[in-house]
Amino acid sequence: MRHDISFTVNGEPYNIAVESHHNLLQVLREQLVLTGTKNGCSEGECGACTVLLNGEPVNACLVLGVEADGHEIVTVEGLATDGHLAPIQQTMIDAGGTQCGFCTPGVLIAAHALLQRNPNPSETDIREGLVGNLCRCTGYTRIVDAVFEAARLQRVSNQ
Amino acid sequence: MRAVGSSIPRVDARHKVTGEALYPGDIDRPGQLWLRVVFAERPHARIRGIDTSAAMAAPGVVAVFTAADVPNNVYGLNTLDQPVLCGPGAPRGMADADIVRFVGDQVALVVAETETQANSAARLLQIDFEDLPVVSDPLAAMQPGSPLVHGYRDNNVLLEYHVRTGDVEAGFARADVVVEHTYRTGAQEHAYLQPEAGLSYIDALGRIVVVVAGQWVHEDRQQIAHALGLPEDQVVVRYPAIGGAFGGREDMSVQIVLALAAWRLKQRGIDRPVKTIWSRRESIIGHHKRHPSVVSAKWGATRDGKLVAQQVDFTSDCGAYAYTSTKVLGNATLACLGPYVCDNVHVDARTVYTNNVPGGAYRGFGGPQGHFAAELQMDRLAEALGMDPLELRLRNAWHEGSLMATRSVLPAGVTIVPVLERLAAEISGSENGGQSPRPSPQSPVPSPHAPFLTSLDASAGRRLRGTGIACCFKNVGFSLGYRDVCNATVELYGTGEIERVVVRHAAAEVGQGTHTVMAQVAAEVVGVPPEQVELIVQDTAETENSGSVSASRMTFMAGNAIKGAAEQALARWQDEERPAIAHFEYVPRATTPYDKLTGQSDPNITHGYCAQAVEVEVDPDTGHVHVLQVISVNDVGRAINPQQVEGQIEGAVAQSVGWTTHENFVQRDGRVLTDQLSTYLIPTVVDVANVKSVILEIPDPQGPLGARGMAEMPFIPTAPAIVAAVHDATGVWFDEIPLTPERVWRGLRAAAR
Repeated sequence: MRHDISFTVNGEPYNIAVESHHNLLQVLREQLVLTGTKNGCSEGECGACTVLLNGEPVNACLVLGVEADGHEIVTVEGLATDGHLAPIQQTMIDAGGTQCGFCTPGVLIAAHALLQRNPNPSETDIREGLVGNLCRCTGYTRIVDAVFEAARLQRVSNQ
Repeated sequence: MRAVGSSIPRVDARHKVTGEALYPGDIDRPGQLWLRVVFAERPHARIRGIDTSAAMAAPGVVAVFTAADVPNNVYGLNTLDQPVLCGPGAPRGMADADIVRFVGDQVALVVAETETQANSAARLLQIDFEDLPVVSDPLAAMQPGSPLVHGYRDNNVLLEYHVRTGDVEAGFARADVVVEHTYRTGAQEHAYLQPEAGLSYIDALGRIVVVVAGQWVHEDRQQIAHALGLPEDQVVVRYPAIGGAFGGREDMSVQIVLALAAWRLKQRGIDRPVKTIWSRRESIIGHHKRHPSVVSAKWGATRDGKLVAQQVDFTSDCGAYAYTSTKVLGNATLACLGPYVCDNVHVDARTVYTNNVPGGAYRGFGGPQGHFAAELQMDRLAEALGMDPLELRLRNAWHEGSLMATRSVLPAGVTIVPVLERLAAEISGSENGGQSPRPSPQSPVPSPHAPFLTSLDASAGRRLRGTGIACCFKNVGFSLGYRDVCNATVELYGTGEIERVVVRHAAAEVGQGTHTVMAQVAAEVVGVPPEQVELIVQDTAETENSGSVSASRMTFMAGNAIKGAAEQALARWQDEERPAIAHFEYVPRATTPYDKLTGQSDPNITHGYCAQAVEVEVDPDTGHVHVLQVISVNDVGRAINPQQVEGQIEGAVAQSVGWTTHENFVQRDGRVLTDQLSTYLIPTVVDVANVKSVILEIPDPQGPLGARGMAEMPFIPTAPAIVAAVHDATGVWFDEIPLTPERVWRGLRAAAR
């Protein structure tokens, strides 16, 4: 069965029909061809599919497409504005926080959400904020460094 | 700013942070069909027949392929011992291709209009299995009367190596102390974040194109062409972005079956691309693992700490098929001796077929299993002698000109002593501004992640702390007589000045940073900024064979190949050639295989060396081991990109902490019980240690600009160093990893009795 839903993704409004049993990850990747959001496990373990649902990070594989009806979604493709990288994207590059990069979109979204609710996070806050995102390459050190630096840049630019 | 030695950003970083980087599962082509692989899901069975009629009749199904559709139904990276599809009826290939030997054997391919239709139809396949006796323990598999995994063989031992040097009995007679223990290590799942996926189609030239994630485009192409009975130029293998590998993509997963499906469909007049994406469970049962090992070691030393005898018996679980087991065994046969001089050596090493998921390449490649035993033997000897473990290592460590157990002189650039000395300095704090890297025991020093260690918090009581060290060597490049080569082409464009440099190279960028390193080496030699270097890479149609991204070889091999090509292109540029183009095939010095009886050989091109110190915290009430801190000293020859080198060290240590403390891959009677990321737990951001990376740059005489490979060696010492630290904390030795809380708790209880 299909359902008509209306939602925004990265600020763009969409009116589409989605299958009852399709999760938000399938809708984003297959229907909207926003492949930046990754599928690492389909069961909410790895965090590669993390997106923002009304500003809150969720595993898109654990949210049904129909549940997005009327809501705002932000994916990794929505972090940069007019080709300008968001601070967390730039600091992730500078800190060397991406290697294979498959976890990176989910990590960026989780970090972005953390910085939205906590502009001055401690290391513990950062690790708590990223605990749902698996990375097999980096050992996480540089990811944590990147979030610290993005928080600093964000505070400086808000002064 | 010089190109080499600078931590320039990765060449692929921007695309990876914007979501623009395309991995195999992200790529679609118009009209594509979906392929579903049907796995055997049983560890040992004969397939008497396959009835595809119900599946063929299901909605949306376009084709079902079985063994009968495979022209040459046999493949293997080093040993041709595996059917592409298990079942009867292939025109050529293995005589007993109808035998299933592990749960991840592939049996059939269902091709349908949609993924859902392919999945539904796959359940309708009627496979007539006759179950066969299962052997799942390598030691049991060596016993007379064990079920045979490959029926044409006399026994299950795939390969044995022996090393005989000096007189080990005379050595033990001279020894003042002898220590003898048996060590066990577990399987490890690579758990790269990107599950296997790919796309295949027929291009305008009639070639089969396979877009996939792997580690060696030319080898993938060779194996596809071999199974399809086609010339290699009829196949193109192209890698887009690759979501991690760590050795886990060295062998075939979706490559052959995707090509087979697209090619057979085209023969039936259906010219449509075929795509597949494996689930996490399929990835975990469907590709090989780090070999489990059982290592018995008896070593002797004199009172003054001189190693006089090393006797080691090494067994690895090969699983159902060879994959790279013979090559891993080649490394383990020497790794189990450590980087030490000893005149009397006796090694028997073997790898044994079972009905488990195959063992294969995984970062370290036999080095971790071998050094786990070797380094803990050194700790046991140090304990027996009452000697500092680092001092004992220094007294026996290789020097320039030392002989290996293979009676060959070590490759020049032997630096285990300076690496150990630097570790000693780091531990004592003299390299750390006078501050000890170890927190004092009195201070509370909660680890930054402590709030989340709920089970540790639950016992709120004692925490025991301890430290340990270990060290290792790791071969760089292919070993034991394999003729290693690496091709590169450098093209210089411009009129007066060089405006553009193009590097053609086949190396796979699996996350390790090799493309960035290649751009830096080319820029350095040509004398341009790295931004002016364009890369044409990881595509058999555009590049020549560069070999695998494995064996810590690509910085060394590609660096030498690109340096050679760039120097020649530059000479042509100076001769006014426009464009100036040069191709270079780098061939390193030759190695030789083991002598069958004595192991005599010149095994390795060169080595890297690493030493680590580890601090752990143990909760004696719950058995939890938490690794707090790791200092890793690594001689990398020359750090082309220091930030990327540090990233490899940090990532390797995290993977090794996982292997040592909580990655518990459980197989029972050939079935995988930990087939999800919810049951196979890899480290999260709160499980990892603080890592201090210390990079030594002692130039390797053969290395490009002095560089040697380095991405495996920081994995190797971590496990024995953790076990030594747990012993320091608790007084109990653990000879088996992973150090799950249950294993540690039981060990502590048993010792307390």
